[in-house]
Amino acid sequence: MTRVSALLIPVVAALTLGAAAAASAQTDCTKLVPPSPWGPNDQTGATNRVTPAVTKAAAAEIQEGKVIPMSYILKDGIPLFGSRFTKTILTATSLAPGAAFGENQLTYMEDTWLSQSHVGTHLDGLGHIGRQDCYYNQTPMGKFINQNSLTRLGLEHIKTFATRGVLIDMVRVYQQAGKLRSNPACRKPCLDKGTVITPADLQAGLKMYNVTLREGDIVVIHTGWGDLFEQFPAQNALFNSGEPGIGKDAAKWLIDQKVVAVGADTWAVEVIPGENPKEAFIVHNMLITDNGIHIIENVRTDLMAEEAARTGRATFFFSMTVPKAYGLTGNFVGIEGIR
Amino acid sequence: MSPSPRSSRSSGRRWASWGRLALAGAAALAVAAAGAAERRPQVAFANLTEEPGVTLEGTGFTGRDVREGFELAARRYPVDMVFYDNGRDGGRALANAEDAVARKVDVYIQYFPDPEVNRRVADRLRAAGIPVLAINYPVPGAPLYTADNLAAGRIAGEALGRFAAEHWRGQPVVAVLVGSVGDEIARVTERARGVREGLARLLPGVRVAALDTRGNPGQVGPLLGRFAAAHPGAKILVAAMDDASALAAKAALEAVGRARDAAIVSHGVDRSIHGGMNDRKELDPNNRGSIVLGSVAFFLDRYGEDVLPLALRLLRGESVPARTATEHRLITHATIFREYPPYDMN
Repeated sequence: MTRVSALLIPVVAALTLGAAAAASAQTDCTKLVPPSPWGPNDQTGATNRVTPAVTKAAAAEIQEGKVIPMSYILKDGIPLFGSRFTKTILTATSLAPGAAFGENQLTYMEDTWLSQSHVGTHLDGLGHIGRQDCYYNQTPMGKFINQNSLTRLGLEHIKTFATRGVLIDMVRVYQQAGKLRSNPACRKPCLDKGTVITPADLQAGLKMYNVTLREGDIVVIHTGWGDLFEQFPAQNALFNSGEPGIGKDAAKWLIDQKVVAVGADTWAVEVIPGENPKEAFIVHNMLITDNGIHIIENVRTDLMAEEAARTGRATFFFSMTVPKAYGLTGNFVGIEGIR
Repeated sequence: MSPSPRSSRSSGRRWASWGRLALAGAAALAVAAAGAAERRPQVAFANLTEEPGVTLEGTGFTGRDVREGFELAARRYPVDMVFYDNGRDGGRALANAEDAVARKVDVYIQYFPDPEVNRRVADRLRAAGIPVLAINYPVPGAPLYTADNLAAGRIAGEALGRFAAEHWRGQPVVAVLVGSVGDEIARVTERARGVREGLARLLPGVRVAALDTRGNPGQVGPLLGRFAAAHPGAKILVAAMDDASALAAKAALEAVGRARDAAIVSHGVDRSIHGGMNDRKELDPNNRGSIVLGSVAFFLDRYGEDVLPLALRLLRGESVPARTATEHRLITHATIFREYPPYDMN
């Protein structure tokens, strides 16, 4: 070893120690986010609850073969959060004269879909919401991202949503309690923005249809606010300006029921403005960050609410396709309630 | 003039659970609950005015902002709100109090500036056994919740002084107050005094001028333009009495090419100066280079958050401090989303 290199060693060591010190100075996620009940390597979250037995039991909900659409059409002009966008570009070059293929004159068209993933009826994945840089299962997310995607907690880790769906019709609950304050812009009755849905409200909605939640269920809340979504773009500003939704107590109650996901016909599922003006989307933190429970936004609930009211049954087989898209934080989804 | 109250039933736990708290104390609550097992306490709020465009307390907040703040805050408590609009009218304020007596509300929150009207309202409600809270203007015998203009001004003055000490050391510095600096009713005069005190603490000897726009932001441009021209070699600290004046001051300084020589601190933090995710306004995390360093928050839109807990203490028969002041804070580009988390989709 030369003298120079001998001198360099302590310098390098000092720099290395400095780097280590800097690294250890990052947020301690064990203090901000609880561990997963499914172990330190868990990236799946609440869909761990969808066991074969859960899916088999949910299949009993399919009694008539009737399929109820529960997604909104995704197209330009729908209300979008913040700077989100969705845009399709049609590639139809083979329709040009002489561009068809072969004697059979085959033509084809394709699309380019330039879109943010959290648009329309969509699923919030476990990598979507954190507390500082700490995400589900105490994941220090800063270590697990690259320029293109997450390297932990991406959608590819989700198991399945093939479970029982339970619709809770808040509009009927509020109507029966004589406390419905509908927004005049809703063409059908709706809860107004800022309305806090409580555990008692949820329980009243379940009791209305004689349902007891089971571990592994997906709860879908009908508030009527989605009627404004359907009026896009005319009511986008109002739809976006707030919403009825679950408050913190209701979120805690749903967590205790060990559900897999909570959906609603609103853009955030939780009440906006929130109960505490200094907290931002706190129910998202509670469900996703702390408990690995997915949120499904802009679910079309009116058809299932009508079906439930007509038949007296508010449960269904929840069928939702989620692409195995590597490293995504969420994605638009197609949902069908099968009865 | 007949009052036209608006009621709002806040969501939350029912009266039964609230009753447990009531058992701990309160003669007033016991009176309210007597003979009304299902009735939730009614909290009346008589707003100063809800006339569109009329701003309050020398800030950009309106009466609607205040009322909506109460509506939102009330969701967390097992109470029903009854809203009155005093309409800046003494007769109407008295009629509102009469209506509240007839309704047997459990607490009355009065927001009105006239001492004589407030005395009569206090007498009437006291005779009916209804406890009163006052907002910003004293009501005899009632606990007062109030903005602390002097403290707010000091925060602004110190922020400006700190900036000058850190960035303009050794350079000539002048300071100027801009806005309704002579408005005694809204106590902007106290705000101005606080700014002077704050500046003096960190920049002893700094010259402080005052440009009274009498509430017209359109006057800021000509007045500040002349002031800047009269101090060609100086750095300029601008203490704007409200956010609209701050924005006008920034535009004026840009117009005369002196923005690089200036720093502005404002008062209010109303929606004219901050927005949400997309409607980027002056106070925004992505606008940290602005010469508007920040604004001292007055939180009129969150009065409900502060005042309703006091009302509940009155309901429980607990003591309430004679005076509770807003906790003013300097809100900057770095803290605006923490203080006002954006939830808008627009």
